[in-house]
Amino acid sequence: MATEKTHGQLVADGILKENPIFKLALSMCPAVGISTTVMNGIMLGIAVLMVQVLSSVTISALKDFIHPRIRIPTYTLTIATWVTVIDLSLAAYFPAAYIKMGIFVKIIVAFAIITMRLEMFACKESVPASFWDGLGMGLGFLIGMVVLGAVRELLGSGALLGYDVLGFKPLLFFILPSAGFFVVGLMMGFFNWIEEFYKARKRG
Amino acid sequence: MKMIITIIFRLTVSCLLAGLVMGTTFVLTNKAKKANEFAREERVVYSLLGFSKENPIPESMGMYEVFRYLVSENGQQTIGYLVPLGGHGEDGGFSFIRIDLDAAFVDKTDVALSHDKVREQGDRDAAVQAALGTDKTIRFVEQTVVVTDHGERTAYLLHGKFPGYKTNIAIMLALAPDYSVIGLEIMEHEEDPGLGAEIEQNYFKKQFMFKPFEKIKAIEVVKEPMPVEYVDALEGKIDEAAAADMMKQYKDNDIYALTGATISSDAVSSGIKAMTRKFAYRFDVLDQVIEEQHIGVPF
Repeated sequence: MATEKTHGQLVADGILKENPIFKLALSMCPAVGISTTVMNGIMLGIAVLMVQVLSSVTISALKDFIHPRIRIPTYTLTIATWVTVIDLSLAAYFPAAYIKMGIFVKIIVAFAIITMRLEMFACKESVPASFWDGLGMGLGFLIGMVVLGAVRELLGSGALLGYDVLGFKPLLFFILPSAGFFVVGLMMGFFNWIEEFYKARKRG
Repeated sequence: MKMIITIIFRLTVSCLLAGLVMGTTFVLTNKAKKANEFAREERVVYSLLGFSKENPIPESMGMYEVFRYLVSENGQQTIGYLVPLGGHGEDGGFSFIRIDLDAAFVDKTDVALSHDKVREQGDRDAAVQAALGTDKTIRFVEQTVVVTDHGERTAYLLHGKFPGYKTNIAIMLALAPDYSVIGLEIMEHEEDPGLGAEIEQNYFKKQFMFKPFEKIKAIEVVKEPMPVEYVDALEGKIDEAAAADMMKQYKDNDIYALTGATISSDAVSSGIKAMTRKFAYRFDVLDQVIEEQHIGVPF
């Protein structure tokens, strides 16, 4: 039962139609907790992208070997292995980035989005298709995190990427975790509104 | 039954594979990771003492490590210090000084140990244990670095760890011989990004600069807006001499808490307060013992 989508479509779907944050609403806890600045968003996004692609490819390559009764533990094991590998490699070869990324990398083990993609896609599809699907999902998450981070950083600390833009701090509330849900909600509404808008225009 | 065996077999193979991948990565990266950590610590030490690549440490400067141990013998506890012997640049071996809990000298044992091996905890512990004999149990507590220049003490470097808002905060603190603060670096923490994590920013950690021992002993955190001139000085927006003057002007003030992170701010201040007080007491005792017993230490 191979997918009929082309590789380009798989990537585009991950970013737009099936965006992990705004459409699938998965991995909300970490997304909301960490997207306080653009830089945090980029860091977590890149880490998720790497783990997602590596895990998707691994599961897809080993799909005949994995017993269906124990597939979820195997997924978790795969994700944990790649997270550890990335964590150790970053600490050894990119110590400057690791100081900032270290705590984000470790929590990826518990990301619902990665397990969900392995369950829905990688365990049924070929290795190349899983690679492109993982890439699309990872990019979708990365972009979502950057958008969230930008809104929250601008409104919470009046800055973008650490540079002072506004010169004052509009609302401290936006860098607190609870504000993440408000921003995600508003962004979801915004995305849906755009979709409706285009659909309406197509019809009429 | 057959299915269970298949499951067990496949899960075992998966686990072994995962273990193999992780183990290989660990072996491949461990050396580089250790080297990174050591290099970082060295860089922090240099910057705390005011040295850099352009301004290297002079020949006349010495750095001596003092290791503190807890020794128990028949239910009685004593504190042991492993100190180097001999003058600057000489290798005079090491001596283990024991002091009881009432600050009285107990005994002194020479320890056979080379200067390269003293940094490895395993080698060091074994050498101390061998020198003391098997009837005592030892436990390593912490190490302090005494920095000297031309035989005069210039600074102490302390490692500290205390609970923060989430997990432990590890710091490195540089004290002058009169126990006033001359530098602070946050080594590890997991405080909230944007809130407690601001403890590693200059405008927070540089507030401790030049604070005298008298002030550190009773330091508190205040929830007040920080004067703009002080922030500029701490952030390095004005030139160095003027910034130092400004910090000295505020040296008897309390610490201004971080907005939205009073607990983290308080954790760091209280941690430094406790560390400095205990260190000053212990080191005064050690100094007195060293003087009374005429122990030839290089610092």
